[in-house]
Amino acid sequence: MTTHLGVMLLFAASVAAVFGALLRDEPRSQARLAARIFLGLVLAAYGLGWVLYLAFA
Amino acid sequence: MTPPPRSAARAPRSPRTADGSARPGAVATALAGWFVPGAGHALQGQAQKAAVFALVLILMFAIGLGLGGRLFAFQTADPLTFLVAAAEWGALGPRAIGALTGLGRGDVVAVTYEYGNAFLIASGLLNVLVILDAVDLASGRKPQ
Repeated sequence: MTTHLGVMLLFAASVAAVFGALLRDEPRSQARLAARIFLGLVLAAYGLGWVLYLAFA
Repeated sequence: MTPPPRSAARAPRSPRTADGSARPGAVATALAGWFVPGAGHALQGQAQKAAVFALVLILMFAIGLGLGGRLFAFQTADPLTFLVAAAEWGALGPRAIGALTGLGRGDVVAVTYEYGNAFLIASGLLNVLVILDAVDLASGRKPQ
């Protein structure tokens, strides 16, 4: 998996899993927090990508 | 109302397992977590968290090496390189194994070179956070 999107998704999933386990104690709330962090990272990357694209196009 | 004596308020707490036996101290926990990601939490009886940390952080380090990332040496002449090296040493075991096996020379022309570095750096820094959390558990600052 060497596409930009694939690597970004893999990175976001890894970071989200660690922070989910680190900041919550119950497995269910860990998974919920990890999902929120993952979505936040991916959406932020997309948003920032579009902003930079439009700013420098 | 009289406040409790300072010595009592600051009395060291020794975390114990469910069967009443004492858990390893903060230094042993930190060293274990530094050598093997997640080992500090395993010593503190948090097997589920330990498994997640070990799996994800070791996998991140392996992915970083697989993507052509570089294991940087400490160079005081270049502050950014020094910081990157310090971050990578945050995961001592994977970093040492990578260096001993000759991995991590870094493929600068690979399209994934910077991605690999990002994985290596993030793995080390996340492990530092994990170690600090385990030390908090060991010292009693964080409830089990």
